[in-house]
Amino acid sequence: MANFPPVDGSIQPHEPRDEDARPASGIEQSDLELVRRAQRGERGAFDLLVLRYQHKVIKLVARLLRDPTEAEDVAQDAFVKAYRALGSFRGDSAFYTWLYRIAVNTARNVMASRQRRPLDYEADLNESEQSAVESRMRHTDTPEAAVLSEEIHQTVNHAVEQLPEDLRTAIILREVEGLSYEEIAEAMDCPVGTVRSRIFRAREAIDRSLKPLLD
Amino acid sequence: MLRAVALATVGILGLVSQPAAASEDDASEWLQRMSEALATRNYFGLFTHTTNGQSETMRIVHRVEDDQSLERLVSLDGSGREIVRTAKEVHVYLPDRRVVLVEPRTEASSLLKSLPTPSPQLDAHYDLQVRKGNKLLGREVRIVDVRPRDAYRYGYRLWLDEESAMPLRSVVTDPSGRAVEQIHFTRLEMPARIDPSATEPSVDATGFQWIRTGRQPANAALAAKAAEWRPMRMPPGFRLIASRVQTMPGVPVPVQHLIFSDGFASVSVFIEPGSSSGPAPPESTSVGSANAFTIRVQDHIVTAVGEVPPATVRDIATSVAPVTSLAPDEAAKSGEPASR
Amino acid sequence: MTDRINEQISAFLDGELPSGEIGLLARRMERDGELRRAFGSYVLAGEVLRSPGGITARPDFAARVSAAIDSSASESSGQAPLASRSSRWSRPALATAVAASAALAAVLLVRPDMRGGEDITAGNADPGAATLAAFPPGGASPTPAQSQRLAGYLVAHSQFASPIGRRNVWTGVLAADPGIARVAYDAVEAR
Repeated sequence: MANFPPVDGSIQPHEPRDEDARPASGIEQSDLELVRRAQRGERGAFDLLVLRYQHKVIKLVARLLRDPTEAEDVAQDAFVKAYRALGSFRGDSAFYTWLYRIAVNTARNVMASRQRRPLDYEADLNESEQSAVESRMRHTDTPEAAVLSEEIHQTVNHAVEQLPEDLRTAIILREVEGLSYEEIAEAMDCPVGTVRSRIFRAREAIDRSLKPLLD
Repeated sequence: MLRAVALATVGILGLVSQPAAASEDDASEWLQRMSEALATRNYFGLFTHTTNGQSETMRIVHRVEDDQSLERLVSLDGSGREIVRTAKEVHVYLPDRRVVLVEPRTEASSLLKSLPTPSPQLDAHYDLQVRKGNKLLGREVRIVDVRPRDAYRYGYRLWLDEESAMPLRSVVTDPSGRAVEQIHFTRLEMPARIDPSATEPSVDATGFQWIRTGRQPANAALAAKAAEWRPMRMPPGFRLIASRVQTMPGVPVPVQHLIFSDGFASVSVFIEPGSSSGPAPPESTSVGSANAFTIRVQDHIVTAVGEVPPATVRDIATSVAPVTSLAPDEAAKSGEPASR
Repeated sequence: MTDRINEQISAFLDGELPSGEIGLLARRMERDGELRRAFGSYVLAGEVLRSPGGITARPDFAARVSAAIDSSASESSGQAPLASRSSRWSRPALATAVAASAALAAVLLVRPDMRGGEDITAGNADPGAATLAAFPPGGASPTPAQSQRLAGYLVAHSQFASPIGRRNVWTGVLAADPGIARVAYDAVEAR
């Protein structure tokens, strides 16, 4: 009935965005350093990469599978695959870009093997973290885990609210707005060293609240 | 630099018929500052939107890049819906319906042109007052009241942050003074910089239906046909500010789109020629403070949409008629606006 | 001492640690579970800030990955090739315009339980002060074509509204249950 064609259904692939996507990114560099160490046999270095990217990969996989309950298992598979394929990572892309592709392919295989509706085009996989859709995708499989997950979020939010203004501003500008220390220093009109210290103290304060929950 | 040019533009347009020294108590200058802030500042925040007894929480991000306004509005109450205004288009993501509406951006790329400019006659149709208010979100506040002088328009009460002129709270009132719609911010930040990713959508639109509306290059025949139709009655002060022809989803023919504004409120009139599928009875709908009225006039379907009371869009829509030749029953309706 | 190292971990997380110091810190973290725990906590705080209510990994996820790597090392050593996109599946047919209309019809839902005389003031139902009535004579839910048309009009109009007006229209379109009120033709006259 419409006599105009809908926009072509395929959606352009969208590369993940580092929080710090600028030339010579500090995170890219430090990831590269960790990869090199892991390639040389330091397993612990890979653990640090897992720690850094675990939430992102789980979120990504959950979105692709549209089923959050197995997101962690599939994400775990993706990390294992990445570890085993480390030898082929040459550093011409950012580590997370490479990891991201592995995670997407791992999730696709799961979908295909279950004869689900296939992801036939590149998903529009924007890594913006403010997804309201996610709030409905609780991935916890036990009531206890669900409660803990909820408590973690509330604890963090409460701890952030309790922070002194300068610490809160610093960590929000860093984590939510993705500003570099230098940009934050300019925004808050203070030295970079002060920014670094404020962000650290904010994290320490949050950690103090979280620790009792996770012990 | 941008701000200086914006203010100079305001001056040239002679908007404010006030003594040269702008006083802090000038309500229309506060409105101008507010429009400018909304268009030129980087900001993000959370607000609650209330209408019809329902409340919704929204997150908004607005940033300016290369003289362009980019925006993202997300519903946080579970539908996952969001609207993203990119450099070229407006995308409405409806994940619960697996649909994305796409509309090309209409305003000129320059921010200055897209700033709403209160008309010199704003004062003729609205009574503007400003006074100091209680603090909101820890900020000093001025309250601007925009009271319409007639029942064709809605009124507004705006709580503006004194420092930035950003509206922290706004209420739309109907002619009887009742609140039709309210927005109030629970959090508002205005950082110097906002990461581009913050105005990117977070919806995974894989497999969605993309539905595009678009500006139709007007051809002579279409334009001539459409130009024959106009609303014969408009509330005083509404002027035609734009006219275009565009495609609409599900409509087989291009649609004439006229935009009228009194400097504060705007009303669109859509005229669809010769459509056989359409609403049979007249139909009136509301979305918060936006009201729409659709009616068939001869073989055209006419819809008026705007932030004005339902009776206003009804009057406008029912008054649409061909300009060149009035049918006998239309002739009686044309002429003076109905007085209220 | 701990504070100094933890501050380095915090800077490392942000990519703001001088590259010369990364190696030493990485070695320390690889050996010390408490440092890794702190790192994980800092990462988690950022995730929650960016995405309140979003999914986060369970606290023992990294440990489980490590265990899985250990156990997979004892399995066959061949690397599973990353599967390429299957070409067996054809692209899903694009929905017909009618289906699209039906989808859009649900954008603007008439609420069938609108009581006659419901006050439009937020949260204040005052049947006596009616400016709205329920359905117009002969009216029913809008047909898909009608709702689709209206949705398109709203979005097209919104670009010309003032910033406040545009925001109001957009939030209306986004509201999960937009609560379109059907207004009786005559009742709008009110007083």
